[in-house]
Amino acid sequence: MQGWVTLALLLSLGVNRSLGQNGLGELPVPRGLTLNPDLPAQTLSLTWQSDSSLFDLEIFHTEFMNVVLNETVAVKADPVTGLHSWTWHSPLPLECTSHSVHIRARNQQSLSQWSPLQTIPGSDIPEKSESYMFPQDKMVPVGSNMSFCCIVKEKRDFREIQYRGQQKSATRLSRRTYAITVTNQPASGNTGTNVVCCSETLTLTGAVVFVGYLPGDEGLVCETRDLASAECSWKKGRDTHLRMKRGRTKYTLNGRDCLEGKTWCYSKVWEENWTLVARNPLGMVQLTDSAQLADRVHLLAPANVTAVEVKAWSATLQWSWSVAAYKKLEMVCQLQIFPHELSSTRNYSGPGLSSVVLEGLWPDVDYTVTLRCGSKQSFWKWGDESAPYRIHTKMDRPDALDVWIWMDSSKTGRVFWKPLSVRKSHGALDRYEVSQSSADEDWGTPDFLPPGNFSYPIILNNSSDITVAVAARNPAGLSQLSTVTTPAYRADSRLSVSELLSTNGSFDLSWQPNANASGGYVVEWVPTGCSGLCPVDWRKVPESDSSFTVKSDSLVAGVRYTVSVYTLSPGAPMLLQRWQGYSQEMIPSQSVSELSANQTGSDVLLSWKATEMKHQRGFIHGYTVYLADAARLDLIANISDPEVQSYRVKGLSLSSHKFVVKAYTSAGEDAGSTVAIKMEMDTADMLFVGILVPLGIMFCCLILLSICCYKKREWVKKAFYPEIPGPKVPGDWSSPQGPLDVKPSPHSLVHIVESPEWDFTKEGLFPVPEEEEESENDNIEVDTDSDEPALLRYYNQVVGDGSHSNHVLDSSGSSTASVGSTQTEITYAGIQSPTSLQGGYRPQMQSVTGPAELQNEFEADFQDDGLNTGYKPQCSWQLDSPEAENFSGSLGSPTSVTSSQFLIPESSEEKPQPSNTWFHNFLSGKS
Amino acid sequence: MEGAADSDTPVAQRSATDRAAALARLLHRDCTRLLELYKERENFLSHHVPDGERLVALGLCPEALTTAEQVGHVRSALRRCKELLECLITREVEEMGEELEGEYESLRKTVKDRLGHLVHSTAALLENGEGGCPPSPPLQCTEGQDEVDDSFAAKLWTYRVLLELIHWTDSASQTLHLFQSETQGQQQQLL
Repeated sequence: MQGWVTLALLLSLGVNRSLGQNGLGELPVPRGLTLNPDLPAQTLSLTWQSDSSLFDLEIFHTEFMNVVLNETVAVKADPVTGLHSWTWHSPLPLECTSHSVHIRARNQQSLSQWSPLQTIPGSDIPEKSESYMFPQDKMVPVGSNMSFCCIVKEKRDFREIQYRGQQKSATRLSRRTYAITVTNQPASGNTGTNVVCCSETLTLTGAVVFVGYLPGDEGLVCETRDLASAECSWKKGRDTHLRMKRGRTKYTLNGRDCLEGKTWCYSKVWEENWTLVARNPLGMVQLTDSAQLADRVHLLAPANVTAVEVKAWSATLQWSWSVAAYKKLEMVCQLQIFPHELSSTRNYSGPGLSSVVLEGLWPDVDYTVTLRCGSKQSFWKWGDESAPYRIHTKMDRPDALDVWIWMDSSKTGRVFWKPLSVRKSHGALDRYEVSQSSADEDWGTPDFLPPGNFSYPIILNNSSDITVAVAARNPAGLSQLSTVTTPAYRADSRLSVSELLSTNGSFDLSWQPNANASGGYVVEWVPTGCSGLCPVDWRKVPESDSSFTVKSDSLVAGVRYTVSVYTLSPGAPMLLQRWQGYSQEMIPSQSVSELSANQTGSDVLLSWKATEMKHQRGFIHGYTVYLADAARLDLIANISDPEVQSYRVKGLSLSSHKFVVKAYTSAGEDAGSTVAIKMEMDTADMLFVGILVPLGIMFCCLILLSICCYKKREWVKKAFYPEIPGPKVPGDWSSPQGPLDVKPSPHSLVHIVESPEWDFTKEGLFPVPEEEEESENDNIEVDTDSDEPALLRYYNQVVGDGSHSNHVLDSSGSSTASVGSTQTEITYAGIQSPTSLQGGYRPQMQSVTGPAELQNEFEADFQDDGLNTGYKPQCSWQLDSPEAENFSGSLGSPTSVTSSQFLIPESSEEKPQPSNTWFHNFLSGKS
Repeated sequence: MEGAADSDTPVAQRSATDRAAALARLLHRDCTRLLELYKERENFLSHHVPDGERLVALGLCPEALTTAEQVGHVRSALRRCKELLECLITREVEEMGEELEGEYESLRKTVKDRLGHLVHSTAALLENGEGGCPPSPPLQCTEGQDEVDDSFAAKLWTYRVLLELIHWTDSASQTLHLFQSETQGQQQQLL
């Protein structure tokens, strides 16, 4: 029985062995393959048993049996356990899908069979039907690559996976699993980078990945504040971008945890070597420092800083230390004193320093003091600064005043002193005290002046000099007296004042050193010509100097300054030299004054007065004279001598002229003054031209006329005064002579017509319609005695009488007067109008009808009247005259026709010759 | 005196109702803005449609019939919203620290404070707790947080909380407006 059992066992062993070897090498199959996944680490640990040490491994994504690893590895068995182990790092989270693994042994000649598949289930198995995404909340360094998978919920479709809002190309790993791989990831925002898995309609699931940096801290430094403990600090490096709680950097100092979020760490005891470890999920950085305690003393701020004794020029400062160990420490302290203009830094040293005396302060000044200290031996750094402490120093009596006296006349002057600066007044001034003495009088009671006064008038009553003493008083006392003696007054006119040229607006002065200037010199400058309260300025120059520059900031451009140098000696200051000058010349602000122009014949003398000195604003170098017209100025003279203040402009025509005179300095011309003049003739010329010349001409004409008349007297007589033959009257006409009243025919009526609107040569004369007159006067006897001017009277006996010519002249004169009047016209019927070109009589015409009509009408009437017998006026004579045509063209004047010519008809042999004939004869000299 | 007291009380109540309604409207705008800010920060939420049940569901509350009961109903929801918001703040501060002080963080605190005022105001409108739901136990921030153990889920949860805030503040605004109108009508009838 036992024999059968043993045989069966041997057979079974033989079968097993034959099953464990293939035909290649008969290697045994690895046994006991087990899988241990580390999901967060995405690693899969494999352990198995085998006698071999070389194995082939294959890992699949179970569902699609996609091979994700096919590798031959050499793994030795653990000598203790006899197990082989190997770890695989999966690029995908192991939860994404199920993974299956099998393994086989290998040697040089043979392979074993594959071990049975071992599978770890993923989260996409049917038992887990929800949506998932892996990995969750992973932290990775910037720039890393990473894969994400999305497991779609059962019965949901898949559309895409978005990384940072961007769609990524997905790979399907299983029925429900899709994966993406992201490369070179950038740093995340505050809340991480979102990876979202979406279906067509919904956000299925998602994950957040935190991409950041390792800690970047640096610069660990440890020091002591209390000479026992340590405070280590460091600088935070770049932002890790890992702000969530798990991602924050944690620090340990020599193994002890530090407060979170701080950049310093505290240790109760000083250790010479320090190690700081900064760690976050992505890694760590280690910082070290090493030092002796004495070399790293950083003192705390002095406490309770107070000024225990404050004087005008110094103060004692005291403070305390909050650390007792400081009292034995050799330390150096630094005081910083403000304000800025008085700021200074002072160092003091000593063991446990707790008080110092501040020297060199100024009275009545507010100081602010800060204090810091450090270890003197192995100085590390200044300790903390104390809070600012204010000190106000006490007052002291003022400094002596800078006093000068300025004489504006031989009897009057003014003492000036300069205001004291804060550093010199040593406290707010109460007043100035001024007293004076002379050879006759001792110092009298001082005058008190308020602090705003900086001058004091003085009057010299007699010839002796006055010495003035000035002092300033503040609550702390009176300053030293400053004395000055009145210098002798020297007017500019009594000195040779030289012109001073400026250099960049400043006056550079130099003078010959004077042996008497034991007290140095005083340079004084004041606006020239100023009187009263003038802006006097001065500087005291040491005896050793003989030059000085008056800076431009104390000078005003365009103002003439008188600059004087005085020597100072125990007596009165002595004037050494004087200049006048401008820091900057400008054009005159006002033009020349009192510019006048006076005519002298054809010349004009321009004269003016110089501008006042305060308006000159520069040395007047001369004047320019312009002749101005509407458009431009013509320079007619440039007077380079400023003393010449007149100019004669010669040869001007008789018209209006305008002159402009401008003064000029080195800066240019002023605006100019203008004067205008109208050139007129001289009185003598006017007499000559206006009166004597016409008189002379008239006289000459009269003489010529007289001579001419004399030579042609026969002709004149014949022409103007022909002998009038006596009337040849049949019958007895020897009646006594008397005035013959002739009742003129109605045609001879003379009408006086007032017609202002008609010219006498045209419509001024108008006829009176005869029909109307006749109709009106048929039964009315003509009133020949009437005063009617139309009544014409003849004095036959006058004709040829000596007085005849007078009558003729009167008649003609009346006619002329009528011609010359537009108001009253007297027209003799039959009188030829000099302007008439029509023959015969031209009566007055009414404007109602046109002249031509009137003429026709008149002629018609005239012909009717021509049937009348008896006396015929000249009109009939004119009409009867065969030479009527010629006569009508004559140039005769009514004044040249005697009344008898037209009143009495002449025989044919006595016909008057046409006027052109006698005029021609007159001109030709015939008699 | 009695008459005066009678006349004063409705006026005071109407004024309180006005203020509560105005506060609800203001709070609704604040919550809307808060969600906008959150969406700007988490841009994936722009297209997200949350699924699942409401976070604030008043299943135990009796059906609100009258407006006063509806006010009580809304008040209970606001109180729960306030608790959710406090949990949200606690969670975000714990996770992100207090260093972030942007507009979102500032408005988040404002909403919490105004929500507290609104809860208090609506409680004052109800006489003897009229219409109020049975007091529910205080919300523990750990409740229901099992499923928000990762950051992405927490963001979705925050989103849902903000949606709840918008929903219930809007509901409170409308209910209080209706309550205000009815109060005025009753007052006019009494007069």
